[in-house]
Amino acid sequence: MRYSPPEKPVLTRCRSPEKETFTCWWEPGSDGGLPTTYALFYRKENSETVYECPDYHTAGENSCFFNKNDTSIWVNYNITVVATNALGSTFSDPVDIDVVYIVKPNHPEKVTVTVMEDKGWPFLRVSWEPPHQADTRSGWITLIYELRVKLEGENEWEMHLAGQQKMFNIFSLRSGGTYLVQVRCKPDHGFWSEWSTTSYIKVPDYF
Amino acid sequence: VPVSDLLDRASQRSDTLHALSTLLTHELDSHFPPLGRVIMPRPSMCHTSSLQTPNDKEQALQVSESDLLSLARSLLQAWIDPLTVLSNSANNLPHPAQNSISNKIQELQEHSKSLGDGLDILSGKMGAAAQGISFLPYRGGNDIGHDKISKLTNFHFLLSCFRRDSHKIDSFLKVLRCRAAKMC
Ligand code: NA
Ligand code: NA
Ligand code: NA
Repeated sequence: MRYSPPEKPVLTRCRSPEKETFTCWWEPGSDGGLPTTYALFYRKENSETVYECPDYHTAGENSCFFNKNDTSIWVNYNITVVATNALGSTFSDPVDIDVVYIVKPNHPEKVTVTVMEDKGWPFLRVSWEPPHQADTRSGWITLIYELRVKLEGENEWEMHLAGQQKMFNIFSLRSGGTYLVQVRCKPDHGFWSEWSTTSYIKVPDYF
Repeated sequence: VPVSDLLDRASQRSDTLHALSTLLTHELDSHFPPLGRVIMPRPSMCHTSSLQTPNDKEQALQVSESDLLSLARSLLQAWIDPLTVLSNSANNLPHPAQNSISNKIQELQEHSKSLGDGLDILSGKMGAAAQGISFLPYRGGNDIGHDKISKLTNFHFLLSCFRRDSHKIDSFLKVLRCRAAKMC
């Protein structure tokens, strides 16, 4: 076995779920056969001071979590990860981020689906709550929602954009059976969340 | 017209304004010289960077309504001249998407103008404290550069300053909107 300095780590992703905190993750390269430690350093725009990651634990392995006190927006963070073993150190390529451009919320919560009836015809009423971390009430983050629905066993989902509403009626049912419903959300300037866990609802055979 | 309706319209405008600036940035990025990224001025060089603004939720929620409005108006006012510079430079920008960029800059100008008019009306309704604005002069001149790289770099730099400021304007107006509506 030939020992070597660690391979260069790669900063893979940074994400803020609510415009108030954020996390960055890296992939370590090979450790060169020796015990290797990883450290994340950052420098904020307008400052020469270099800080080390404030919290390596909260977000799990190979990550750094920035809590509310360590997070500012409209300020670039220049971030680098350093891998070190007995034979030396290697630096990742640095990444520049502004937290406002890495916002990807958690998925909506408490999705409920009920079968309603309008003039003898069934429809689904879907309601949900924003992810609890996102402060939509103060206007700090604004979310829009999208739903998808399909009859069990079908391949294609039918999509519906709900805007900022937290309730949506689906009138396009074609038969009785079990329907699958999921909801996701997107901030005003950011990325779609994952889909919520599937809600199942059985529609009686009206048709 | 109630203040909450005016704020609703204003924040729709500011949302569009920021979304447009993001589209423009991506369009410009599609053909951008690597050297441009190296020589691009830092964000602290933006002509609006001296304006003290909150930089997280806790700070933003502590700012009074009249001060939030005056921050948004100050930023918007500060972009009247440099948006004209961007608009004139877009006409002969050495970029394959020049035509589309030029049209979008014109849209930015129109949206900024109408948002500015809307915020003037709002400030009239919100009392004397909302009337004050900070003056942030643009001293970059009318010429953004002579050679291809400096033209593209300075254009990109100005646009990235606008992009950040339009996000601030949008965020302040959306907080104001929810305060006027008591809660969102
Ligand atoms: Na960690
Ligand atoms: Na903070
Ligand atoms: Na919302």
